[in-house]
Amino acid sequence: MLSPYGLDIIESCLTCKTRTERLFCDLPAAALQTFESIKYATAYPKGAVLFVEGQAPRGIFVLCKGRVKMSICATDGKTLIVKIAEPGEVLGLSASVSGKPYELTAETIDPCQVNFVKREDFLRFLKEHSDACFKVAEQLSEKYNTACHEVRSLGLSHSAGEKLAKLLLEWSSKNGEAAKQEPRLRLALTHEEIAQMIGTSRETVTRLFADLKKRQIVQSKGSTLVIRNKGALKLIASNN
Amino acid sequence: MESVVQRNCLECLQRHERLFCDLPAEALQDFNALKSLAVYPRGSTLFREGHPVRGIFVLCEGRARLSVCSESGRSLTVRTAGPGEVLGLSAALSDSPHEMTAQLLDNAQVAMVKRKDLFRFLHLHREACLQVVNLLSQDLHVAYDRVRAVGLGHSRRTRTPRVH
Repeated sequence: MLSPYGLDIIESCLTCKTRTERLFCDLPAAALQTFESIKYATAYPKGAVLFVEGQAPRGIFVLCKGRVKMSICATDGKTLIVKIAEPGEVLGLSASVSGKPYELTAETIDPCQVNFVKREDFLRFLKEHSDACFKVAEQLSEKYNTACHEVRSLGLSHSAGEKLAKLLLEWSSKNGEAAKQEPRLRLALTHEEIAQMIGTSRETVTRLFADLKKRQIVQSKGSTLVIRNKGALKLIASNN
Repeated sequence: MESVVQRNCLECLQRHERLFCDLPAEALQDFNALKSLAVYPRGSTLFREGHPVRGIFVLCEGRARLSVCSESGRSLTVRTAGPGEVLGLSAALSDSPHEMTAQLLDNAQVAMVKRKDLFRFLHLHREACLQVVNLLSQDLHVAYDRVRAVGLGHSRRTRTPRVH
């Protein structure tokens, strides 16, 4: 089925080909069958808000396709992006388990397919399927590790330059680029969004990129960024 | 050092007040058999950030400071854990190095369970697995609140000014 947003919708979890590669989705047959009966497959355009920080938890959202920006917001409107969720992640998990309001706001940055499960159905599902419960514990552990990483990065970095260098190194370590002399990464976020990831202004990010390019540490090729001098970037990241 | 907490989980009077410890009889019996109990002096380090995970630590008595550290040695307290809390849980479940350092603020009694024993225990006891999911959810709420405080300068719940 082709959705209005150009997505090939995966109608059934039972026939999903990517399921086995994904931490939560790789469930035993019985659990998967139950999950299939309680989930609602939905498609969202880019820019749709799945849930808002402070809202009572309605349920969980399993991200099948697309990416979602997870952010927190101050009363003055200042936004901090905690992470960019990738396919296979379960969103709204801790709030749905604890019953406390959603801690983050989830907004799609691509057209997305999302499987929604109501909170009460999800809690019953966890009680009935210990394998699923264990997978949820693993997902929560990963999210906790990410949150600790974020605390460390925001709280212990000296400068915006250091934080940006760390972020670029982190991104460049994915997709088999880590071992390369000059790793490449696709800059899928705007300068504004990168600024929100490292807690600084858009102007600072633009200035930092200009400086990195001038020093030939990075080079832009369309939306691809090539790290020309990994050593120099690491030096900036370690605040030396 | 004198401990007021029972060495046997089955006889512990505080267990009903503690999220993880309040387990059904059968699970508690198994946990009691798996754990090794130790008493540590104040200032001891239970685990260090970046070090491989040996297992989880249940704080029976005493408090621990959980902190993260920069390459230059600067340290930031993420939170203070109290009696009944389980430390090292997320690292043990994700099999990644400890994301924080846990240092005891008091003389403490700690029950340790090895990682592979914990996995077996959680697969055997659904209730314990649910408790762990609840604990991790709470830990995550605290961690996000800390991200908010550090990154945006205040806490959503208390709206207190930034302290770091």
